[in-house]
This record gives sequence, structure tokens and C-alpha cells, in this order.
Amino acid sequence: MNPRTPLRALKLLAITLALAVPLAAQDAAPDIETLKKSAPKVFIDCSRCDIEYIKTEVTFVNYVRDPKEAQVHVLITYQGTGGGGQEYTLSYSGQLEYKGIDDVIRYFSNRTDTDDEVRQGIVKTLKMGLMAYVARTPIARRLAVTYAPPEKPDLGPDKWKFWVFNLSFDGHFSGQKSVSEHSFDIGFSANKITPNLKLKLAVEADYEGDRYVYDGETTISNRESYEFDGLLGWGLDEHWTVGAFFEVSSSTYENVRLKFNPEPAVEYNIFPYSQSTRRQLCFQYRLGLESVRYREETIFDKMSETLLQESLSVNLNIKEKWGSITTSLSGSNYMHDFSKYQVNLWAGISVNLFKGLRANLTGGGSWIHDQLNLVKGEATLEEILLRRRELATTYEYFVMVGLSYSFGSIYTNVVNPRFGSMGGGGISISMN
Amino acid sequence: MTIIPSSSGTSRFSVRRRTVFVGLVLAGLLFLGQGLARAQAPGQIPPPPPPPPPALLVFIDAPGLDPLALTKDLGFVRPVPGPEDARVLVRITSRPVDTGTEYSLSFVGQHEFVGVNDELRASSGPGAGPEEGLKAAGQSLTLGLVRYVARTPLSMNLRIALMDKVSPTAVSDPWNFWVFSLSAYGMFSGVSTYSSQMYFGSFSAQRVTESFKIKLAAGGMLQKDQYDLPDYQYSSSLDSKYVRGLSVKSLGDHWSIGGGFVVYSSLFSNVRRGIELMPAVEYDVFPYSQSTKKQLRILYQVGLKSFEYFEETIFDKTRESLWGQSLTATLELVQPWGTVSTSLEGFHYFHDLTKYRLELTSEISLRILQGLDFNLWGGGSWIHNQLSLPKAGSSFEEVILQRKEQATTYNYFFMVGLSFSFGSVRSNVVNPRFSSSGGSSIHIEM
Repeated sequence: MNPRTPLRALKLLAITLALAVPLAAQDAAPDIETLKKSAPKVFIDCSRCDIEYIKTEVTFVNYVRDPKEAQVHVLITYQGTGGGGQEYTLSYSGQLEYKGIDDVIRYFSNRTDTDDEVRQGIVKTLKMGLMAYVARTPIARRLAVTYAPPEKPDLGPDKWKFWVFNLSFDGHFSGQKSVSEHSFDIGFSANKITPNLKLKLAVEADYEGDRYVYDGETTISNRESYEFDGLLGWGLDEHWTVGAFFEVSSSTYENVRLKFNPEPAVEYNIFPYSQSTRRQLCFQYRLGLESVRYREETIFDKMSETLLQESLSVNLNIKEKWGSITTSLSGSNYMHDFSKYQVNLWAGISVNLFKGLRANLTGGGSWIHDQLNLVKGEATLEEILLRRRELATTYEYFVMVGLSYSFGSIYTNVVNPRFGSMGGGGISISMN
Repeated sequence: MTIIPSSSGTSRFSVRRRTVFVGLVLAGLLFLGQGLARAQAPGQIPPPPPPPPPALLVFIDAPGLDPLALTKDLGFVRPVPGPEDARVLVRITSRPVDTGTEYSLSFVGQHEFVGVNDELRASSGPGAGPEEGLKAAGQSLTLGLVRYVARTPLSMNLRIALMDKVSPTAVSDPWNFWVFSLSAYGMFSGVSTYSSQMYFGSFSAQRVTESFKIKLAAGGMLQKDQYDLPDYQYSSSLDSKYVRGLSVKSLGDHWSIGGGFVVYSSLFSNVRRGIELMPAVEYDVFPYSQSTKKQLRILYQVGLKSFEYFEETIFDKTRESLWGQSLTATLELVQPWGTVSTSLEGFHYFHDLTKYRLELTSEISLRILQGLDFNLWGGGSWIHNQLSLPKAGSSFEEVILQRKEQATTYNYFFMVGLSFSFGSVRSNVVNPRFSSSGGSSIHIEM
């Protein structure tokens, strides 16, 4: 662009100067609306955040719809902590003119925190990490940083020695004239998690009952299960873990009166465990004893049996700026008869292909040749339609593919709650 | 960490005099530089100074500038006289430029912050005095130190805020805030005896600003199920299509007016073509600007509903157009003690006031005590407006698989949960070992 008049040249020069000088003086200050135009463009990649709250609380940046448009990409990943809270890892990566300015900051929530407390903690942490970028734009001088020294004293040593206990009860009820369903589950867990030890114990009871009325006739159908689960894991180093799984269970669906299932296990993670919030590739081998008493005689004429079973699984989890991959491949077989096996594959892939275009693939399949527990005799129509009883099958699959494309305005700063979510459209699918 | 050990409860320390003594010696050493500067007059008995509050130790190398003056307002920073103990080394240099003075600030992390470095620049604007330049340098120093504080427990007491109120639409946007989206999904599942297919597709266009909201969407869904057993075969399909729109104009911080329309088709509901046109007005008891914390919205809609049915209805109709009105109250609270989202909606037709529907939905999550949480999620409806039910009725499978709408006067669903946890709250340990065996969960929102 060639300025035609000297006046215009001067004007251009003045504008260029104003933009080039990051922290201009108060007097010559452009107003806040002008400052906001040059504030960093940020993309928040977080499936569990209250995005609208973030937008109303952090107003000194601009939010964009697509990661490729952003100057700052903030990827927020989370993992459970030993105390029952969450570790949120905020990975900042500078793009375009901020390339090379990266940071990682963590926030820990407590088990007892409510949603509001957690979102306040995330916002506080998010703001701090954004300072490195905001400090390079003129809006920086309108920021106030204040500090209030803590009032509460330190909490002293942990008298619970990392043990966390949880007791929970859930009830579900639903119905209308012709159909009603209810279910209850009650559980207790005790966990102790330290950097090298993982000890988890849990008991759970589930009950589910349904009632259908058709042609004046009432059909009632139930399903119940009880389970004790134990897990002991001992970390040898950044890659190896040894331990055991232990299960005692009973289930009407699976035709199991009582199952006793100890499984020693070993796991190897190709990436160091300390990177687990972003990437994991784990191989796990288990060798277990399965001792079962059935409720009804099985198709193999058994009322009880004790068998050895082995299993191997490979899990890959990656979360990056371009998307995420979660896949799992596992296989198991009985040692007395190798033709009694099962192979499971599960994959979830979500990728930002280019600006605005996102592809999702989620799917899983199983080849099933180890249904030793099937009941002799036929199932009723209700048992089939409502899946009250395990039926013979040799496979099972589930696939979902999706493609979504957005274009238009890149800015998503606005929060407009009027008329609620009426009239929305489209589908959004997220994976956890 | 980066901080000096703080006084962990004054009463405890007053009992343990030895600890106080050790604390004082440590504090004295760390404070040597400042201690000398503030030396008491001889003969006066110095009162025991309190242990220093936790702070980020910073060494500032700024020729011609006073480090104490630069950091006097920063409660989270303590300048130290030498670079050894400092967690951050800051070097500030200046050079004259046409518009005044330009300052360069370099930040270098030490000890646990090795590798955390930054470079910032600050200057006074054209025509501004030297104190403006210094102020700008001070602001850059503050902002540059935040990323270090963020890695310490001090961070939870730091507050960062923009001093001005700014409109979210203060951006240059060539699309004028219009956003368009297209999406398509397919889902397939099965076992030897059963298979299912589902397809979704949608297109949406929307423009949302503070003063006006417009949304348009069109989409469809198709579901097919097939049961195939040796002596039993059954297949069913379900499809629905819609086009809908909404526009809302803001009238101040409490009122909105607008309206919505929908054109749809649904096999489940026996509606070949339904058209609904509903102008509406809304009042929020709280200002809309507080919507992420609290909302109590009251929405009134009045309009026309027109239906064309697949099969003749129980009222011997194949088509009809009726007027109706509805009132909805929605309460949404996200507060430190918990989250509440409740909505109550009432609707009736004008031609026959006994054709009405009342619906309540609620999602509540409360912290009753530290560790004791209560959750409720559910809803119920009193249904007396089922005008579309087909005369011919439904088969057993259609009832049990919920393929067709059934006559009812009510429906409900709710979930209650109570969870009590106790024990250690202090462990921020992340231990991912043996936890990768569980699958992921998928969440679908339509």
C-alpha cells in the first residue's frame, strides 16, 4: 500500500508506532476497545471446563473457534489424584508470532471442591499462564495484579497416611403408564495412592428392575450383581509396575452365582509414567485363576469349574494439539483350551484435519469364543429384547464415524444466555 | 519450593521456642542485606521480628533503578541482595529511543525453575514522561514474574483482573460473527443376533452477539434395528427430521424478546409434518451479565402448532392447527456450595384447557458437609396433550423398544445419589499405573 499524500503517510506512521510500542503512555492511550483488538487470540482445548465462565472472567484475551487461528493454544488435560481430586495440566503453546513461547502450569483440585471452586481454580491458573503472552500486547498495562497473603496456617502432617474412603448410594427411577424402571447401587471404596503404591479396594451392589404392561399383562424383569474388586500396584521405576487384581462377584446376567478371580499382573509403559496426562503406551499381562459356581447349568453341562486364564492388553493414549487418540487391544484365552478366547479392539480418534474440519472415529469390536457361562435352554422374548440374559454370539461391534466442518467468524468471545439453549442445532460428540 | 518456610500457626510456635529460634536464625540469614540496612540504633532492644511471609526470591540487576522501589507493591516478591538464593534473576536494561526510553527485561529461572526464561520489552509512549516508562517497566516486571509464582502455593492468593469493562465484540471480524457448521455421524453396532444403525446429519448457521442472537439449524436422524434369531426375526426403523430457528433481541440487562419456529417430522410421534411458530418474551430476575453464576429466567411463549399425521389419531384427526401458550421458569445457580439447574414448564391449548402439559426437570449437586455430597437429577411430566397418538395402537416390540409414543398421563425419571468421603485430602499424587485398562466414555449431545 503506497500512501498518496504526506498526510496519509504520517497517519500510517503514527498507527504503526502505536501498534509497535507495546506499553504506550497513559495520555496517548487508545481506549480499551482498541486495546482488546490486539489482545492475544486464544483457543481453549478442554472437554471439562466451563468455557462460558472462562470467557466472562478472563476478558483480556480474544477467544477463537479453531485452534489453527489461535496465537495461544491452551490444552487442558486432567487426571485423578491420590487424594480423590484432580490434577489439571494446562499446556500453553505459542503459535504464529508467539511461536516458541510455551509453558506448562498445573492446578490441583480437592476431592471436596464444588464445581464453582474448581472452575475458579482453573480460571486463576489459566490467567497466570496467559501473562507471558498478554505482557507482549498493549492491553497488558490495563491489568491489575494483586496479592493477599494467606490467612490460613499450613495444615500439618497427613494423619490419614494417604488413605481415602468413599461411601456412595445411587438410585435411578423412571416410568410412565406402560413402562417403569428402577435401579439402585451402593458402593464403598478405600484407596491409598502414593507415587509408587496403588491400593484400591471396592465393594458394590447393583439391582435393576423393570415393569412392562402390554395387553393388560404385566411383565417384570430383574437383574442384579455384587462385586468386590481389589487392586495392588507397585511401581518399580518410571516404566514398570507389578501387582495383582482380585475380584469376587455374582451376577444374574452372566449366570454367575459366585466367581473368585485373583490375577497377578505386570505392566510396562513405553513413555515414562510422569507423562501420562499427555501420552501413554502400556502393555499389561495378567495370569489369573477363575473359579466359578453357576446359577443354572451351562451349555457345557457345568455347574462349577476352576480354570486358568491369561490376558494381554495394549493401550495407547495420546492427547496433542492436533487431536487425540485412545486405542486399546486386548486378548485373553483359557489355558486348558486355547480355542476358548476373546479379542477386543477399541479405538477413539479425534483429529483437527485443517481449519474448521474435525473428524471423529470411535469404534470397538470383539471376537468372542469364551462364553463358558451360557445357560442351557432358551431365553424369553423379554430377556432378548431387554438384554437381561447373556446370549450366544461370536462377535460384537460398535462403530461411529463423524465429520464436522465449521466456517465463518473465528471469534467466540460472546456469552449470550438469553432464551437459554432453545433452538440449538447440531451434534457434538466428546470423548473422555 | 520457592518460598521461605512460613510460620505454621503462631500458637504452635510460641510453645516450641527452639523452633522459633531456628526460624529466626534462618530468617536472619536470608534477610541479611535488608537487616543491615534497617539496623537498630545501639542500646535499643530489638523486638523479635515475625518470621517472614512466604515470597518469591528475586534478584534484580537493574543499573540505575532501585529494586526495592520496583517491587514494593508486589507482596509475593522479595528482592534478595545476591543471585545465589534467588529463584529468578531479572536483568533490566534501558536505551533511549525516539519516543523516550525502552526497557528490556530478561527473566532467568534458577533452582527448581531452571529452564523457565523469558524476555519482555517495555517503553513509554510518544510524548510521555520518564515516569511513564518506568511504570511500564514495573508492569512488565510484574507480569513476567507471574509464571514463576504460578508454580508455587503463593499462586492461590494472587488475583489478576482487567481494570476496564470491555465488550466481547470489540474485535475486527470480516464474518461479522456468523458461524456455519456442518456435521454428519454414523453409528453401527451389533452381535450375532442383533444389529443397529444410526445416522445423524445437521447444518447450522448462527450469529451471537450481546445485543442479538440468531440461530438456524436443520438436521435429521435415522435409526434401524434388526433382531435375527433362529425362530424370531424383527426389524424396526425410526426417523425424524427438523428445521428450526430462533432469534432473540436484548432489551437491557433483564428483558429479551424474540421467537422460535420448528418444522419437523417424527415417526415416533406419528407426525408427518409439524409446524410450530412461537413468539416469546423473557425476563431474568438477575442481570443477564451474571448468567454464569445465577439466572432465574421466566419465558412466555404464545403461538400456533399445526400437525399432519401419518395415521389417523385416537381423536379421528389426520391434520389440525391449534393455538397454545406456555410459561417456563428456569433457575440456574453455580455457587461455592453447589450447583442447581431447575426448570418448570406449563403448556396448554386454547381450544380445550384440559389439553395441557406440566414438566419439571432438575439437576442439583450440593455439598452438605465437607466430604458429604448430594446429587439429584431428574424430572417428571403430567401429560394431557397427546393429540397425535395413532388409533391403530402398537405392537409388543414397539412398546418394549419404545419405538412409538404410548398413551400416558405422566412420566418421570430421577436419580438420587449420596456420597460420603473421608480420609486424606492432601495427596496431589498422580499414579497412572494399572489404570489404562478401562475404556473411554463417549458423550453425545444433540
